[in-house]
Amino acid sequence: MQPLVMKLNGQDVTLQIDPSTMLVDVLRDELHLTGTKVGCNEGECGACTVLVDGLAVDSCLFPALKADHREVTTIEGLAFDDELHPLQQAFIEVGAVQCGFCTPGMIMAAKALLDENPSPDEDEIKLAISGTLCRCTGYTKIVAAVRAAALKGGK
Amino acid sequence: MPMGYVGKRIARVDSPDKVTGKSIFPADLYFDGMLHAKVLWSEYPHARILGIDASAARAYPGVVAVLTAEDVPVNEYGINIMDQRVLAQDKVRSVGDPVALVIAESERTAGAARRLIVVEYQELPGVFDPREAMAPGAPLVHEEKGTNVLKHFFVRKGDVAAGFAQADVIVEGYYHTPHQEHAYLQPEAGVGLIDEQGRVTVYVAAQWPHDDVHQIAHALNLPETQVRECVTAIGGAFGGREDISLQILVALGAYKTRRPVKLVYTREESIRGHGKRHPFFMRHRTGATRDGLLVAAEIELISDAGAYASTSIPVLANATSFAAGPYQIPNVSIDTYTVYTNNLVTMAMRGFGSTQPPIGYESQMDKLAERLGLDPVEFRARNVLVNGSIAPTGCVMEHGVGMKEALERAAQAAGWQRKSSTWTRPQIAQPKEPNKRLGLGVACSWKNVGYSFGFDDKAGARVELYLGRGGAIERAVVKIGASDVGQGVETALAQIAAETLQVPIDRIEMMLSDTAVVPNAGSSSASRHVFMSGSAVQRACQEALGRLGGQEAGAGQSVVAEYIFRGREAHPTTNFDPVTGLCDPHISYGYVADVALVQVDTETGQAELVKMWAAQDVGRAINPTMIEGQVDGGVLMGQGYALLEEWIQERGYIKTRNFTEYLIPTVLDVPKEIVPIIVEVPDHGGPFGAKGVGEMTTIGVAPAILNAIHDATGVWIEELPASAERIHQALKKKAGK
Repeated sequence: MQPLVMKLNGQDVTLQIDPSTMLVDVLRDELHLTGTKVGCNEGECGACTVLVDGLAVDSCLFPALKADHREVTTIEGLAFDDELHPLQQAFIEVGAVQCGFCTPGMIMAAKALLDENPSPDEDEIKLAISGTLCRCTGYTKIVAAVRAAALKGGK
Repeated sequence: MPMGYVGKRIARVDSPDKVTGKSIFPADLYFDGMLHAKVLWSEYPHARILGIDASAARAYPGVVAVLTAEDVPVNEYGINIMDQRVLAQDKVRSVGDPVALVIAESERTAGAARRLIVVEYQELPGVFDPREAMAPGAPLVHEEKGTNVLKHFFVRKGDVAAGFAQADVIVEGYYHTPHQEHAYLQPEAGVGLIDEQGRVTVYVAAQWPHDDVHQIAHALNLPETQVRECVTAIGGAFGGREDISLQILVALGAYKTRRPVKLVYTREESIRGHGKRHPFFMRHRTGATRDGLLVAAEIELISDAGAYASTSIPVLANATSFAAGPYQIPNVSIDTYTVYTNNLVTMAMRGFGSTQPPIGYESQMDKLAERLGLDPVEFRARNVLVNGSIAPTGCVMEHGVGMKEALERAAQAAGWQRKSSTWTRPQIAQPKEPNKRLGLGVACSWKNVGYSFGFDDKAGARVELYLGRGGAIERAVVKIGASDVGQGVETALAQIAAETLQVPIDRIEMMLSDTAVVPNAGSSSASRHVFMSGSAVQRACQEALGRLGGQEAGAGQSVVAEYIFRGREAHPTTNFDPVTGLCDPHISYGYVADVALVQVDTETGQAELVKMWAAQDVGRAINPTMIEGQVDGGVLMGQGYALLEEWIQERGYIKTRNFTEYLIPTVLDVPKEIVPIIVEVPDHGGPFGAKGVGEMTTIGVAPAILNAIHDATGVWIEELPASAERIHQALKKKAGK
């Protein structure tokens, strides 16, 4: 077991983990932050996307110890005092949510984009979420939601 | 004053939890003292089990139990015919058969112990093509049945020989569609436990929780009152969660260990552990007169049922009824077969037997139109079903037939014009690059709403009204076992309740889960929940309002009403006639017209969907935003089916095991534009005139794309997917190279 210290959704967290553990397993099994999903466990579907120091990563392939002394943001850390993030608001309003399993990963991938590039064009949005699969929505309303959030200055 | 909730773009009631990560999917559940299970899968597509030695696994530290066939009280299940084993007994019939279940203190331990189980197999010759499986002497998948043919349906309408004698043009085709994987993003997961009342309780993402309870109780030899299923958030389904997957395994685990047992499939196990869309082999012969009227169709369909029945028979029945297309054809002869093989079981998938047939009948329509020198829209418009037409199965289509409206709306949107009472296609500017060709393709298709062929389709709903000051409705609770698989049924039913009760939608509380509490509303399938469950909610609300009117109602009081809606209240259906096969098969129908604009690179064979106009006759749109969402998703799934997705088995072994090997469309595959066209030709039997939408959005996509490829290049692609390789080969053949 080894210590892992990270700033998770703005709070300092310290725990002892098996060094072979991936970040997603720490989030889900140890901390029960189950908003981060596992769709394939091999970096193909993007459902487990979280931000590490602002960069979108597949947390199923990201060794938890690589997050040591870094900032990790998950879907649970997006709404501030129950006020939804503009991306979350836009996903609801535009109708970009169907089954909702890919939604957290999509929103996190989109957040990484908007933090870096507040007014992306359609191609940039598509590229940013191209590693995240969705089987329900056909992506059209997801792209529209990211665009809507960007127009509202969502970061 | 009407509130106007029906027809409005209400935000989905489940979306706030889904965008914040609060929605609980089955893998998100953790209980005190919870154990973890792993499945040992069959190693062979067809083999006898001579023995299982689990002693080393049982002795492994942390292992609580290793369960095999002898631990299952009644070792059988199946949604239609109980020909599946919970854990393999005596033999395995596909690589998707679970052989043993390891239950341990951790998932890692269960996985390690699984490798210690020794199964002694005697491999048997297998059969992997349904056409070969039909032949005399083929290895039998289920010996006791004496044949691999699970079912044969037929339809004889009119006189086909006389019909072909009248035909000026006859075209033939042989079409093949492959397996398709549902590829929902949430792999199967579930937890079984014994609740405080001693009931076996399963938490799972399921399409038909009440039928699961029936099958779980049967396998555990318990009364159904001793089994509960609680449906969590569901990460997509598309038919793939209609059958049992791991429900009985976690129930059995909890029943045996008396502790919560969690089982989560990996992506590879998900692909191995649930069935696929049926591959079909389809032979068509179709005749028309020179004035462009269909006179005869002769059709043979053969589907691969895989190792078990699942819903292969009702899928085939549907395919039989849809085989000739939504057209008036006086003379029809149809024979259809579904056949056991040692491939993975095949099952419900979006369209349920209405998705494969249009690959055949719509290619035939374009072949005929071309031979007759008629525009494909014009040719179809002369033949499509309208109110009062006789369907290919001999029944009169009495009302609500929106096929022609859908066709005309899609054609007009795509630029067709009616000139001197004939539909004329738009001219499309071809790209400057000589190797890039654009083509337009049209497809009509149709799909049933609700359960068919005389089946007594029922949906129950319970409505509880809680009254406030002056007897006004303060809160309404709607209890209904309708699974929201992502399609938005929870929201649609809330809208129907709000509209019927005339109360603001935020006072409607939906309860969809727990079979011990909510009435059975049937499966989230057959595009039926808006029609069936919507009717049940509407009627229950009306009854509650009626009771409210008849009593002195005051603050603190409540009114309760339950209603079981039966499909035959809307339209009674009949099964195939034993002599002619004629029938009035379906309660209601959705009608679809798709026009695809496709670009083909004639050097590489790569085809790309550029734009899709998708007209859906939904009867009445309950929520246009959700319908558009279904269209967007349905078009992309159909596009994947047409151009990309290739789920491969080689002699029963799965070759496309995960998302690296089985590709589904990403955002980069989305066409430049999808134009959803909502057509509303009401069905008087549905709530507010609504029909259904979920499956219809996907069924016409692939045939429209195939017809567009032909329009662009002159080659007919008769086998999916229309991959670059396949189109390239066809182009080479056409050029005589």
